[in-house]
Amino acid sequence: MQVTDVPILTLIVFLPLAGTILIALFPQNAARPIALGTSVGTWILSLFLLLGFSPGRGGLFQYVEVASWIPAFGIQYKLGVDGLSLVLVVLTTTLSWISILASFGPIKTRIKEYMASFLILELGMIGVFVALDTFLFYIFWEVVLVPMYLIIGIWGGANRIYATIKFVLYTLVGSLLMLVAILAVAFAYQDANGGNWTGAFDFEALRAHAGTVGFADGLQLLAFAAFFLAFAIKVPMFPFHTWLPDAHVEAPTAGSVILAGVLLKLGAYGFIRYALPLFPDAAATYAPLIIVLSLIAIIYGAIVALVQPDLKKLVAYSSVSHMGFVTLGIFIFQEQGLQGAILQMVNHGLITGALFLLVGIIYERTHDRTIAKMGGLAGRTPVYAAVFGFFLFASVGLPGLSGFVGEFLVLVGAFDFSPLVAVVATFVMILAAAYLLWMFQRVVFGELSDFLKGLGGHLTDITPVEILTLAPLGALVVVFGLFPGLLLDLIAGSVATVLGDVAQGTAIQIALWP
Amino acid sequence: MAWSDVVTIAPFAAAVLLAGLVLVVDLVRPGRTGPIVAVSLAGLAGLAALTLVTGQTEATAFDGSYSMDALTTFLDLLFIAIVALTILFAPDYLAPRGLPMAEFTVILLFALTGAMLISASTDLLVLFIGLELMVIPGYLLAGFHKSDAYSTEGAIKYFLLGSFSSAIFLFGLAFVWGLTGSTRVDVVAMRLTEITAGAAALSPGLAMGLAFLTTGVAFKIAAVPFHYWTPDAYQGSPTPVTGYLSVGPKIGAFALILRLFVEALAAVREDWLIIVVVLAATTMTLGNLVALTQNNVKRMLAYSSIAHTGYMLVGLAAYAAGRVEGLEGLLYYGAAYSFMNLGAFAIIAALQKRAGVTSSLDTFAGLGRREPLLAILMTLFLLSLTGIPPTAGFFGKAYVILAAVQAGGPVAILAVIAVLNAAAAAFYYLRVVVYMFMRDPIGDDVAPTHGRLLWGGLWVATALTILLGLIPGPLLEIVGNAARAL
Repeated sequence: MQVTDVPILTLIVFLPLAGTILIALFPQNAARPIALGTSVGTWILSLFLLLGFSPGRGGLFQYVEVASWIPAFGIQYKLGVDGLSLVLVVLTTTLSWISILASFGPIKTRIKEYMASFLILELGMIGVFVALDTFLFYIFWEVVLVPMYLIIGIWGGANRIYATIKFVLYTLVGSLLMLVAILAVAFAYQDANGGNWTGAFDFEALRAHAGTVGFADGLQLLAFAAFFLAFAIKVPMFPFHTWLPDAHVEAPTAGSVILAGVLLKLGAYGFIRYALPLFPDAAATYAPLIIVLSLIAIIYGAIVALVQPDLKKLVAYSSVSHMGFVTLGIFIFQEQGLQGAILQMVNHGLITGALFLLVGIIYERTHDRTIAKMGGLAGRTPVYAAVFGFFLFASVGLPGLSGFVGEFLVLVGAFDFSPLVAVVATFVMILAAAYLLWMFQRVVFGELSDFLKGLGGHLTDITPVEILTLAPLGALVVVFGLFPGLLLDLIAGSVATVLGDVAQGTAIQIALWP
Repeated sequence: MAWSDVVTIAPFAAAVLLAGLVLVVDLVRPGRTGPIVAVSLAGLAGLAALTLVTGQTEATAFDGSYSMDALTTFLDLLFIAIVALTILFAPDYLAPRGLPMAEFTVILLFALTGAMLISASTDLLVLFIGLELMVIPGYLLAGFHKSDAYSTEGAIKYFLLGSFSSAIFLFGLAFVWGLTGSTRVDVVAMRLTEITAGAAALSPGLAMGLAFLTTGVAFKIAAVPFHYWTPDAYQGSPTPVTGYLSVGPKIGAFALILRLFVEALAAVREDWLIIVVVLAATTMTLGNLVALTQNNVKRMLAYSSIAHTGYMLVGLAAYAAGRVEGLEGLLYYGAAYSFMNLGAFAIIAALQKRAGVTSSLDTFAGLGRREPLLAILMTLFLLSLTGIPPTAGFFGKAYVILAAVQAGGPVAILAVIAVLNAAAAAFYYLRVVVYMFMRDPIGDDVAPTHGRLLWGGLWVATALTILLGLIPGPLLEIVGNAARAL
């Protein structure tokens, strides 16, 4: 553990808050530049974080900052990153400025409030990834909720209020039960520690406790279930996914980008960071069930995506399917699987983020997302069609682009775990190719549809600003597709640590008929 | 009466004198709001200082029937803060309706003396007198808007059920007195320990007494199924009064529970534990479920205040199951709830500045555009009431839940019920946010200007709501000391 002199993590987390305050103080027309400036500043800081990170130090946390916060319960303000959280922090800061830039055109009302909400959202997301105290983690987890609620509810589509309330209620049910579990775990630790609260919320202390003494079986089963519910709703896993299509369809473009790019990753991150290391026995117990749910999500998401008439809904259901690969990779407890899951998290963030941007671009011009009304875009907007195709192929999993690597690694791990699971999952990759390419064909090729003809000159090709939002994502998709080792090196330590933690887990025998 | 007695009861006596002084001020300068507010606020500040100084040393007065300890100090300061905030919020609402500020302030200050008497009493009779002294001004305040039919209706309902429950409560006290032969809290506790020692079941007399006392208290805190007076009384009352009624008498009644159940009836703790568990579960759940269907924000907050009673009862249940953290959580929650709820009601009152504006959800439509600052503050209070971090309401809830988890057994199940309720409550709290930010205003009302007093009070409530969530340490220490005083 190293304690740096400059509290760089605190700076990264709270720079967006400073931006929010500035936005509140300055008039409306300053909101956009301030928001963009702040998010780019946060992004640059996070790149410094990346440069100073030493992957050689294994799964140990770096840039650790500790300060006592609520001493009566041993609650600390403790931040730190390992390879896993670092990668996700950089993903968050990257997608944040891209989303803010992409909002300049579409968001025309209440710009101040929008930009302020977005920056608070960024604060919460980064906070979740860098918090090393379970109480602090919970606080950031909930902080994410409110701005997203506002972003969907104020700037969303026609049915936005239904969608945003559904989003909040689903998430809250899971997260509040997780709060009970966090407190129960802290109390169990305090009890085992002779009534001393020190370390009861400290992630590293809890993990050490879980690895040596271990939490009681009953507590593990209940607490894991509560954590699982919170994370599974966020991922979202089948059958907790029903809020996602609604939220995606109603959210403004940038909201969808962040929702798919980062918010869904919060759940997967929670599994890897908290659920597995703290409750290895319960994880082993529930793993078969979760693997089955993941397979259902992979298949179900793909089949439902096949029949979606709405572009955004199609991408939303494809997210359910792709995130199924992530949970599958996590719960087979196997090196390639976990590596693949983390890579898939990053790649899904980049690719699906880009796809939502692209859907947003066409929506800006047509105010419609119905696939049946599209057609023949290749002739009218060739650059857009090419970029769209590029990201679709990345999403399908074309070798050489990043989407391939993650899914491939998960499949390798799955094959090692059980060939049957791998076969089922591979079959779905064909389905993915089917629904994405069929959609591409209907939207891009053929005659220009009557609906699009009616738009006349409004149907312009992609603008330079839009290119600017997509280019970094495209570059990363290529880089990670060709050199996945860049990411694998960063996360190697985290993967080894987590696998070491879960290796100690043995399934708990549950007697259904006592 | 010894000199030390006088010193010990100084804060209480000063509160009575302050109420008298405000009357005199109104005699000298009739009908003027400014002097009344200035005198009462300065007086309350002095009262708070006096309470702090007197509270430094633990002392009892009048042969042990009145005691000044850390708990008394904490509760007194909380009551003073509640009354001061109510006085700040009132003029903007009362003046346009031609309601006199002086009478309002005086009645409020007399209610304060009652609450202070409860928090300090260690004698059952003094406890009862304090209770009546606190609630009778409440009846007056509920009917303060004499020409308004709803206000009168609410006041009569409040008065009838309130007196009824006071009688039931007194009846219960009589049973306890009959069994123990004393009204002093410590003697009662001692005798009850002797009586129950070795006995397998409660004697019929004690069981009756416990049942009557519980019923009486449940009325006062508005626990389900004794909550029926609440919605009408709260909706009918002038809005600043509703804000006060939803926190002041409630915290007062909880103070009564602490002195009576936690101290005097400590010997039969296990018997009332199960009652509290059931009351807590039904109160939270029913309060929230009914609140879900309300279209009037005042009435919705009335039902939500019932739900909050339930959350506080979870802390009490955890204490009854042997966890002192439950008591600390209850006190913390009480303070957090007071400030966020007062803040929310203050904003409703501010919107109703023009007579005739109702407290229906439509009043909030488009508030985010008309008065953005007010809408943002309301959002903060509502998020705190929901229990979203980093706010006072979140930490209060987390604390109570922590205690319940520690207590284990049936109380741990209460923790789960509590969080599921909190999730359901998010729906109706956030509905107000939906109206404020996601709907267009109905009609093109020009925003009224709000008085400086109102803004001052709002900023205090806002600061406390945020600070108690971000830096809970200092208050944790205070409630820890207060809980240990029992």
